[in-house]
Amino acid sequence: MKVALIGCSGMGNVHAQMATNCGLKVSVFADKNIKIAKAIAKQYKGEAITDGMAACERTDIDIVAIATPTPTHLMFVKAAANAGKHIFCEKPFCRTASECKEAIAAAKKAKVKLFVGHVVRYFQEFEAMKTQIAAGKIGEPGFAKLYRGGLLPMGSESWFRDFEKSGGVTFDCMIHDLDWLRYVFGEPERIFCQALMYTKRVPFDYSQVTLRMKSGLIATVIGTWAHPHGFQVKAEICGSGGMIQFNSNEAPMAAMKREVKTGPDWALPSSPVDISPYQLEWEDFIGWIRDTRTPRVTAHDALRAVQMVEAALQSAKTGRPVAL
Amino acid sequence: MANIGIMSFAHMHAYSYAACLKQLPGCELTAVWDDNIKRGRTAAKQFETKFVANLDAFLDSSLDGVIITSENMKHRPMAERCAAAGKWILCEKPIAPSVADAQAMVQACKKAKVGLGTALPCRFSPPLMEACTQIQTGEFGEIVAASCTNHGQSPGGWFADDALSGGGATMDHTVHVADLLRWILKKEFVSVYCELGNQLHNKEFKTDDVGSLQLEMEGGVQVSHVASWSRAKSFPTWGDVTIEFIGTKGVLWVDAFNQKINVYNDAAMKAEWAYWGGNPDLGLVADFVRAVEERREPTVTGLDGLRATEVTAAAYQAAKTKKRVPIKRTR
Repeated sequence: MKVALIGCSGMGNVHAQMATNCGLKVSVFADKNIKIAKAIAKQYKGEAITDGMAACERTDIDIVAIATPTPTHLMFVKAAANAGKHIFCEKPFCRTASECKEAIAAAKKAKVKLFVGHVVRYFQEFEAMKTQIAAGKIGEPGFAKLYRGGLLPMGSESWFRDFEKSGGVTFDCMIHDLDWLRYVFGEPERIFCQALMYTKRVPFDYSQVTLRMKSGLIATVIGTWAHPHGFQVKAEICGSGGMIQFNSNEAPMAAMKREVKTGPDWALPSSPVDISPYQLEWEDFIGWIRDTRTPRVTAHDALRAVQMVEAALQSAKTGRPVAL
Repeated sequence: MANIGIMSFAHMHAYSYAACLKQLPGCELTAVWDDNIKRGRTAAKQFETKFVANLDAFLDSSLDGVIITSENMKHRPMAERCAAAGKWILCEKPIAPSVADAQAMVQACKKAKVGLGTALPCRFSPPLMEACTQIQTGEFGEIVAASCTNHGQSPGGWFADDALSGGGATMDHTVHVADLLRWILKKEFVSVYCELGNQLHNKEFKTDDVGSLQLEMEGGVQVSHVASWSRAKSFPTWGDVTIEFIGTKGVLWVDAFNQKINVYNDAAMKAEWAYWGGNPDLGLVADFVRAVEERREPTVTGLDGLRATEVTAAAYQAAKTKKRVPIKRTR
């Protein structure tokens, strides 16, 4: 199977590598910035183009991988579905829940597989937590605290820093944790959120959520794009018989360069594993296309995650809890 | 020489305060009174002081100041007795579960012209004092958000009995952080939203054991806080006080009690953290002793205690109504 990648910076780079690792040939690289497309196309011996819509319609392509800014996802999903391609779409699924529904309908109509990359479901540390909880190691879980973020990301043309496009840290980053909470603990009941959302005086974002699940579990979720540098994930699950903690700063390695071009460097702890979680999600997607497995995450799950962040941002605007 | 008495050893902090009094120069643990006579006698013996069973005799004695470490619901009647007897008071936190009780205590002490302090020792924690200093220099710009935790192991007993505690983990573990933020940011709280749970101890408690709070301070500062009795019995320490401050010019993270060494002891069959940092209780008690001698208000006042109680009372109201509740400042 051959893959066309749309959006070649940031996550696009990762997906090109992961698809290749899975034995797929990435043959078309589309990016508005032809320089970026050409650079990666050269690396993978593929073709560089600027028009993502044209990539969707190529007859020599089986899979379209979308790693563009969120507001463009629906357009590419629809074009790829109409052309009969299977679709790998980076999270967040779409910029609104109604767009997500439109995307699901398009894929259903075209009978193509639409996968959304909620990669945290594939992270080994998160899977380990889920396994321990399922094994009853902490009794009945009653509280969860998840924390994720660090440096405000740039993205091509700084689209992450445009709230209208990215939805800020709540929409783009915290969505991982809200999805994981629903994955492990079931449906949410109501959500309350405070977020900075790039107010005039702060050109960054910090989001704080209180979430009640239908099971009664309470969660506090923090997302930050307010830090001067770094990236950190912390998780804590408390139950009637114990608790679980994870902190990404406690990692097997940390590297620090003496000099870097862009200014001060910092040690970003890293945790090498046998198979990257990004590859695991591609393996799941490919297995689903080949009808050999059911994927861990569905487009419906991705829609629910978008509904949760939409509710969070509605709460942040109104100062009221929002029922889900 | 300041003569200090302790009323009730119901709260385990009494043992720490008593040890501080024994350690500090210029003061004496002169007498102990307790409505649980056996507990009081044992404590008096432990700290080599006298037990006075009769409350009038206790308050008639040569005491200059009294530390009240009873169950939360008994703070008010005990403080009123002390104030009427002209004693300086250091009252365990929360100063009282209800705003009305806290107000009455502040007023009684004002009327009696005695000092009233609230035992919020975190203001004497070296890492938190350093955080306060650094933030107040303005080097982190304007603080626009903060996320906090105050976790603990379950204290059980009367703490989990609403009739004596007036509330659970959220009552017990919100006031430290509320006071710290008021102190460091010099701003008051304006609203709170809260989800409460009683689900970490098989619903054995008559109170909540976890609360997730979303608070707003003056000027739109966004604050989240988790108050809990969530630390497992096998957890290596009692709990924590943490705050992440988000400023326009930087971020400051403080984990106030994260000064520890890891200890692996086969006899305990669990990992333990041996704390080597400063003792905030000592600073708190020393300040109270000085306040008694100088006939001034303790550094953390009764009014500070009242402000913290206004936050917790509104949080319980918010949890009940499932709405964001304004925090009203009373006098």
